[in-house]
Amino acid sequence: MSDDRSELLQGTLEMLVLKTLALEPMHGWGLSQRIQQMSREVILVSQGTLYPALQRMKRRGWIKSSWDITENNRRARYYELTAAGQKQLTVEQASWERAFNAVNWIMNTQIAPAES
Amino acid sequence: MSLITDLVERLRTLVFRRQEERELEEELRFHVTMEAEQLQHQSGVSATEAHRRSVMALGGIEQTKEDVRDARGTRLFEDTGSDIKRALRSLRKSPGFATVAILTLAIGIGATTAVYSAVDAVLLRPLPYQQPEQLVRLYQYFVSAPANNYVSPVHVLDYRTALPSLEAVAAIDNYHAASGDIGGSDHPERIRLLPVSSDYWNVLRAPPMLGHGISRDEENRAAVVVLSYGLWKKEFQGRADAIGQPLLISGRSYSVIGVMPEAFADPMVKGVDAWVAMDMTPARDISNANNHYVDVIARMRAGTTIKSAQAELDKLSLQLATKYGGGASDIRARLEPLKQDIVAPASHALSLMLGAVIMVLLLVCVNIANLLLVRGSERAREFALRTALGAQRARLVRQLLVESLTLAIAGALGGLLIARLTMIALVRMANGAIPRLTTLALEPRLLLFAIGVASLSAIVFGLAPALRATRVQPSDVLRAAARSSTGSRAQGRVREGLVMSQVALAFVLLIGATLLIASFQQLQHVDLGVRPAKVLTFELQLPSARYDSVARASFYETFAQKLMATPGVVAAGGISRLPATGEYNVWGTRPTTGPKASTFRDIQLPTPQQRVVSGEYFRAVGIRVLEGRTFNSGDDRSAPARAVISQQIAEKYFPGVDAVGQRIATADGEHEIIGVVNDVAVNAEGTLAPILYHAHTQFAGDRNWELSQVIATTGNPDAMIPAARRVLASLDPQLVMYKPTPLADVIGFGVATRVFTLRVLTAFAAIALLLAALGLYGVLSYTVKLRTREFGIRMALGANRNTIRNMVIKRGLLVASVGIAIGLLAAFGLSRVMASMVFGISALDPRVLAGATIFMAFIAVGAAYFPAYRATTVDPRQALAGE
Repeated sequence: MSDDRSELLQGTLEMLVLKTLALEPMHGWGLSQRIQQMSREVILVSQGTLYPALQRMKRRGWIKSSWDITENNRRARYYELTAAGQKQLTVEQASWERAFNAVNWIMNTQIAPAES
Repeated sequence: MSLITDLVERLRTLVFRRQEERELEEELRFHVTMEAEQLQHQSGVSATEAHRRSVMALGGIEQTKEDVRDARGTRLFEDTGSDIKRALRSLRKSPGFATVAILTLAIGIGATTAVYSAVDAVLLRPLPYQQPEQLVRLYQYFVSAPANNYVSPVHVLDYRTALPSLEAVAAIDNYHAASGDIGGSDHPERIRLLPVSSDYWNVLRAPPMLGHGISRDEENRAAVVVLSYGLWKKEFQGRADAIGQPLLISGRSYSVIGVMPEAFADPMVKGVDAWVAMDMTPARDISNANNHYVDVIARMRAGTTIKSAQAELDKLSLQLATKYGGGASDIRARLEPLKQDIVAPASHALSLMLGAVIMVLLLVCVNIANLLLVRGSERAREFALRTALGAQRARLVRQLLVESLTLAIAGALGGLLIARLTMIALVRMANGAIPRLTTLALEPRLLLFAIGVASLSAIVFGLAPALRATRVQPSDVLRAAARSSTGSRAQGRVREGLVMSQVALAFVLLIGATLLIASFQQLQHVDLGVRPAKVLTFELQLPSARYDSVARASFYETFAQKLMATPGVVAAGGISRLPATGEYNVWGTRPTTGPKASTFRDIQLPTPQQRVVSGEYFRAVGIRVLEGRTFNSGDDRSAPARAVISQQIAEKYFPGVDAVGQRIATADGEHEIIGVVNDVAVNAEGTLAPILYHAHTQFAGDRNWELSQVIATTGNPDAMIPAARRVLASLDPQLVMYKPTPLADVIGFGVATRVFTLRVLTAFAAIALLLAALGLYGVLSYTVKLRTREFGIRMALGANRNTIRNMVIKRGLLVASVGIAIGLLAAFGLSRVMASMVFGISALDPRVLAGATIFMAFIAVGAAYFPAYRATTVDPRQALAGE
């Protein structure tokens, strides 16, 4: 969990959670389902990393939690975005787009045929 | 991200930890339920299968919990708290283990620290003065006889003016140290006076708390006195205006000029009540340059080494040799650190104790190691289970660390308690025979060391099993534990090895204690040259104010005559120093007639000691007359000076001739030898010394001799006290019969240090044996427990109960014998150290070794018996069904 690749993924997961919660408050399981749906089943949220990530984000003050009743009458912990979380989402989205574009530029560069 | 929010959130989770945990549990349960329902819907698997898969998808509930806890950032606090709680719970669950472990630690830490502190207080720190490293003792010696000798007063004057590297030089006239009687004639009380020179207070850097010390002008027996704190309290009720007041001591009026602080004590002379001015007038008479009777202590200037001071002293000694010439041309002087000078006689006992302390501490560590290793193997399954359930290795290790530390702290606290109790016991045990023991305080460095070593062993051996348990595959351990394994062979060997080392250590201590006990028995039977049984002694001092030398001479003789007329008295007399109570009055002595008269410097014999006797001293203490006669009423002041010498002097000074009738010279002139008596010991160890006896009737003018009175009785010496007191009162009702004691006890006092060492070492040996027995017992018990099934099978197959029992006992004896063998080897290695402490037997005395071996074997059988007995009570059906 300490190599660079997972760090990146972790950061991405946090951004996705922020985005999802920006739409509406949600419980942990619902979050994992929603992200899966919205990514058209491409992204499978590793559930083992979801809850620690939520805990971390809570600690940073981006989200807050409260207990509520689900539509199936179950008690669940719902997470919602705070003002700080809203700001964080903008920051992360901007930096993600910048990075995304940068990666795309590199990937779309035409490779000149080698001189023979 | 805000630091504050972060901190608040962390604190919140810490404070509401319990609630957090509950909520986390509920949240994860909710997650699993939802996931499982969805799985059931989508793929139509059974409810249990769906549940299983959803837990797997989560990556394990415990694992996720751990990760979330990590994410909270409050791990360290939370875990330590819960670790301590868990440690206490787990120790409570096995009270036997906890009790034995904590007790072992407590005894080890407590007893060793207390005993070592006692030794330290008595022997190691005898110099409670400022900058004690600057203090030295100065001895004179002869080029021809290099043994340490007292100093001549003439040289003292030179030493204190001509040695720049010595800041101050003080003379202590211990030779003239005397008792004095103070108080009214109805209740006279005896005090101890020490004459010292003016620089005494500068050397010790101990100014009086009131008034001042003795000045140079008063070094002529001026009637001034510096009081000890105790005497000041007693005589002047602690009043500050005591300074300048008169105090009547033995009929002479002294002016009080100073009072010493409560903590002050003379470095060499014990129990001084008052310091008086020493007489330095003989120092101005050059004919005294070879008259050695002064103790000299000095303080070196800051930054001076003893080596450079010695070099300076050597140069001066040569100059003085020329200056004084004659017999004094042979005199040199040397410096020795004062501390070393005082501690030297006890240093062997000290190193022995230190060795014993280290051995007991080692034993404690080994015991702790063994206990923890056994416990570790017992818990291997628990650790494996928790590892399998996803607990992190570091977490387990930390929990064990906390457990070990909890043990160590409990042991240390118990140790402090035991140390206190031991010290109280020690003070009682020493019973006043060991000076300064009452000032006992725990030695902090050793306490820290003991706690450190014990804790370290607890930690190391507490962790070893955890590391092993968490390294192996949990499944292996679980499978192995499911079967009734007998534990790995390697582990068993380690444990048995540890017990062997315990037996070896205990055995060495046992040998040491036995040797000391045997030595002590030898001492009791040592020939001192006197027969102390049934002899009463007491001190008697005649005040100079009322008794001149003639009156003193006749008083002591009359007193002896009157006593001998009392029923039950065999003989009575007096002597200036009781036998076997130390060296005294070593005076240069030489034959003036006979074959050695001109070559007396070649005589190979320590310088003889002088004694002054009255009455029928020789008969009273059972000294045999070998030739000639002892003193009688004819040997008075009008008769020529006569002397009785001991056998050694006769043999060495007058070889081949009859000593009786020869002449011998001491510092006070020539004497005719009238008799030869057997040699007498100067100490309780039976060291015989050459002694020259003077008749008090001839020698009373030299000084006011305080003759210790001896009365040989037909029965119990204590029963003679009232009769003797009546006789004394009939002669002079104002005189004090001081400290009436049986002679055997007075001599016994000289072995007090030895008795103390003996008791301490015996106590250590007992603790060591107990620990070794506990270790053996523990290991065998565990083995029996592991082999319950095997024993069951054996018995089911018809094995005799006795066979089973003997099997266990044999194992115990085997382990013990290896330990004993190692211990024997160690005893051989240590025999040089022991040799200095034993008396009258070899440090490798076969009877002692054999006795200790048998005793150790008995202990081993005893320790093995209970586990062996338990092995025979195994019910075969139960043992087999228990699987």
